[in-house]
Amino acid sequence: MTRRPIRTTNLRLAGWLRRNSEHYLMEAAQADFARQVGRSLPVGPTGPSALFWRRVFVPVYRRLPWTARRRVMSRMPGSHRRAWHRPPERRDPAI
Amino acid sequence: MPIRVVVVGGGAGGIGAAGGVKQAAPDAEVTVFTEFEDVAYSPCGIPYVHGREIDDFASLFLADKQAYVDAGIDIHYETRVTAIDLDRRTVHVEGPDGEIGDIPYDRLIVATGFDYADPGVPGSDLGGLYYVKNIRRAMEWDKVLDTVNRAVVVEASPLGLEMTTALAHRGIETHLIDPRPWPLADVADPDIMAPVEESWAEMGVIMHFTTKLEGFLGGDAGSVRAVATSTGELPCDLAVVCTHKQPNNTLARTAGLEIGSTGGLIVDERMETSQSGVFAAGDCVELPHGVTWVPVQGLSGSHAYAQGKVAGVNAAGRERRYSPVYVPWAMVAGKWMIGGVSFGETLAKALGIPYVVGVADGISRARYYPGVRKTRVKLLGEPGSLRLIGAQMVGGEGIKERADFLAMAVRTGITIEDLAWMENVYSPPIGALNEPIALAAQNALSRLAS
Repeated sequence: MTRRPIRTTNLRLAGWLRRNSEHYLMEAAQADFARQVGRSLPVGPTGPSALFWRRVFVPVYRRLPWTARRRVMSRMPGSHRRAWHRPPERRDPAI
Repeated sequence: MPIRVVVVGGGAGGIGAAGGVKQAAPDAEVTVFTEFEDVAYSPCGIPYVHGREIDDFASLFLADKQAYVDAGIDIHYETRVTAIDLDRRTVHVEGPDGEIGDIPYDRLIVATGFDYADPGVPGSDLGGLYYVKNIRRAMEWDKVLDTVNRAVVVEASPLGLEMTTALAHRGIETHLIDPRPWPLADVADPDIMAPVEESWAEMGVIMHFTTKLEGFLGGDAGSVRAVATSTGELPCDLAVVCTHKQPNNTLARTAGLEIGSTGGLIVDERMETSQSGVFAAGDCVELPHGVTWVPVQGLSGSHAYAQGKVAGVNAAGRERRYSPVYVPWAMVAGKWMIGGVSFGETLAKALGIPYVVGVADGISRARYYPGVRKTRVKLLGEPGSLRLIGAQMVGGEGIKERADFLAMAVRTGITIEDLAWMENVYSPPIGALNEPIALAAQNALSRLAS
């Protein structure tokens, strides 16, 4: 089977987006739980880029419904877009 | 003519792959190239030798070199693969004595493992910085540890937790620094980690959370003398760097194999890469998470070995599938076992995954039986269907077995309702009347009802 190669620029962009979104979304979630349990907040990068991810990206991401977030994530290039069978649910008696 | 399979890498993925090929096609010519002096040992056991729980490094070896010769697997030690030519189907190798050559293959399996993320701070080239990976270097570092009075562990990653516990157990004054608010914060929730932190404090560990690494400061001999952090300098004789494990994919990337958003190689369920006839396994690949379908990377040695087996069988021309992962995990940290499946509340919140939760504090044995320990279980379910989607636990025993069980529960679509009324073993020395998993599920249902 011949596969259509994914463009290198798309892969680099996906890597950059994943790295940053993962970092700042985790940081925001940890900050929320830290406040709940009375702990200090996480410390991370500073500067205009960090400000964008914290002040723009995280709030926008959080306003999107889960279905929209899931659609975006599923369209990123990666192993999840190759052939993978989901395990069948076996709810009937075995014999 | 027998099929020629070349495996790049001699870790769990590579050795699993070599075994998988031989299992499926006993007459196959299998050649493994590793840049290290050894294969077939458990690097995950290294912290426990440092911590004196295990007597010696020899115990970590699973088989001697002759065992692979006998199995018909040709392993080339201290041999680096410097290039892959996908068109000509060859790998370019450089041996320990400078000999070079191009080795042809019919099928290739890439199992190049991981590298620790560069701390990205000044002083990263100093002596006295220990990256736990290779067993020969670990043997040398173990002698150094006899002279160390004070150590700093950089980052509370899984290895960071193990090394913190090991060094404290060895009687070394141990400092742990991490920019996050609690240990293992990218994986575990704060309530799960709280008992671990208490036990570390009892063991004398000095924890510095929400503290950023700013540099390593050198002494006269070119070795680290202190770690500079956002909250001040920490003098030390040794720093153990336990940063994130990144896929080691320079070779594969240069060859033109497709890399996913995690930095791991893109593979399908046969562990085949973007190039037909080239397979990959272990820490260098990414796999879809079974619940979110988001690719994940950097799993355990057992994942790597199983992926290697699948890659090897397919490379040999037979058919075997690997599954999306649900990531059961467990480990000892401080005086506790912690573990989980899939994800906890912090990661669910970060991704924005909706969930319902139930938590219970149960016990590991009958309440009157000596050695009984608290067992906290937290279950996350999908709203509406109540299918189990994640779990986290902390306790004195039985955490690994519960994590394995709950991973199968997530995988097969078991619901919180199913778990609330599950059957469980009751035997005073090994199990309490009320299974903590069932209690957590019942609490989730009670919360929903109210």
